[in-house]
Amino acid sequence: MQNESSIDPKIIEEVLKFSKNVIDAPKFVSAPDEINLEVTPHKVVQQIDKTRLLHYKPISEIKHKTPLLISYALINRYHILDIHPEKSWVRNLLEQGFEVYMLDWGTPTSMDKYLDFDDYVNGYLESAIEHIKNQSSTEQISLQGYCTGATIATAYTALHPENVKNYVATAPVIDGWKDTTVISNLAKHMDADKMVDIIGNMPPEFMYYCFSVLKPFEQGIEKYVKFFKNIDDKKYVDNFLRVEKWLGDTPPIPGELFKQWIKDIYQENLLIQNKMYVGDDLIDLKKIDMPMFTQVAVGDHLVSPECSMPLHYAVGSTDKTLKIYPTGHVGMIASSLSQKKVLPEMGKWLAERS
Amino acid sequence: MTEYYKHLSLFWTDIIHLMSSKPQALTSIGPMRAFAANSKKIAVELIEINENLLGFNQYITEYYKQLSNTWGIAQKKVNQKAPKIPQGVEQIEAAKRIWIDIFDNDFTELFDSKKFGENYGNLVSKELELTKHWNNITNVILQSVNLPSKEEVDEVYKEIHSLKKRVSKLELELKKEKRKNAK
Repeated sequence: MQNESSIDPKIIEEVLKFSKNVIDAPKFVSAPDEINLEVTPHKVVQQIDKTRLLHYKPISEIKHKTPLLISYALINRYHILDIHPEKSWVRNLLEQGFEVYMLDWGTPTSMDKYLDFDDYVNGYLESAIEHIKNQSSTEQISLQGYCTGATIATAYTALHPENVKNYVATAPVIDGWKDTTVISNLAKHMDADKMVDIIGNMPPEFMYYCFSVLKPFEQGIEKYVKFFKNIDDKKYVDNFLRVEKWLGDTPPIPGELFKQWIKDIYQENLLIQNKMYVGDDLIDLKKIDMPMFTQVAVGDHLVSPECSMPLHYAVGSTDKTLKIYPTGHVGMIASSLSQKKVLPEMGKWLAERS
Repeated sequence: MTEYYKHLSLFWTDIIHLMSSKPQALTSIGPMRAFAANSKKIAVELIEINENLLGFNQYITEYYKQLSNTWGIAQKKVNQKAPKIPQGVEQIEAAKRIWIDIFDNDFTELFDSKKFGENYGNLVSKELELTKHWNNITNVILQSVNLPSKEEVDEVYKEIHSLKKRVSKLELELKKEKRKNAK
């Protein structure tokens, strides 16, 4: 009897409110499938195989003559850089007066299992840059790479420095041996040859597994508890569902590309040692001699700062800046911090050199 | 022991196959005969699947053991830090925070460890071997109905990839030349 009387009535109230929120959720919230992640208007200006080159419609006067191409990561889709009008990386750059292009890698199928680093670097990325150069009548562009997209962009910049006026590397995957994340631990013990020989492309299920080992209790339980608690906060719910939808949309990674990425970056760590080949070409990071801006996040649990920062010290550029932000991998590109600090700093740096 | 049973099974499959081949050839017409021959390949794959399952079970047992041990240790830490019966909403929130922080830290430490990485790598490797046997069985069935096997389709993909690569490099070169000439 004593125990019964000691229960705080607020607890019962909280439990009832939470249960009501769970039951009422479908009334207030769209299904993730109903949400359109394409926020900022754009045109598809080139399509090669499954890849698409997107050109965003300017929303203010173009103030800087050098166009910017964003090379998004191989994991998930480019939508995170344009996830919500208030947190859109792309929109912010357009507002700052940049001409922005994005390379969407598309969704590879079994047929694409032989696509390798060479296809991505000297094929898709090179074609996109050539297209932009033709369209804008410029000889050079500014290139930004994010996460594994920065690994591809870094390889490209080292092989074709003449085409890149400024290079921005955002959380680049560079020094696999220094990476302290659980992803790198799994990658180091993986038989990538066997996986590709038997399965073909790296299946999305494997990526979902990798996501599941990242803070499993915070991300797997607490995140959803918070979602139901805040179900009547429209802004919070909309943002939550957009990010969730983005997280659940993981395309496969072409087998040969995945194999080289795991072996050359995580297992043998060839890129930072200037020993990695793309096709027949050796990548020498010292050949990156244009202005370079590196952005890393201290709380990045997908690509640790120790994995990204060596790029800053390995390149041949004399005009180089390294910025470290108190956020995480996604927080650096799609948060209020990215809008208030990361993007203005990057925009200022680019504007001075564009 | 496994080798013995494998040998025993193969011996009888072969002998029965040889003994039955002539009456079978006489009574069956083409495709049925091919299917009878293919059944041996399927039997071999099934035996090897059983061998792989032993290894797979060993690694998956270790996988769940690692998870449950970590859970047990984390729960003990939570029991030491969190109040036995939380009183009030704030205490429940605090206890939940302690639980999440300790569990996330301990599990991240596990996922980051060499022993987890190695066992997980072996587990995935065994799972892939099982998939390979299943692929092989499917290939036998596909060939028995005159459809291309996975390897044959892969060869076509490889050829298409190589052709596309050559064409796109030529296209790119052409674009660059045009641009140079236009200047």
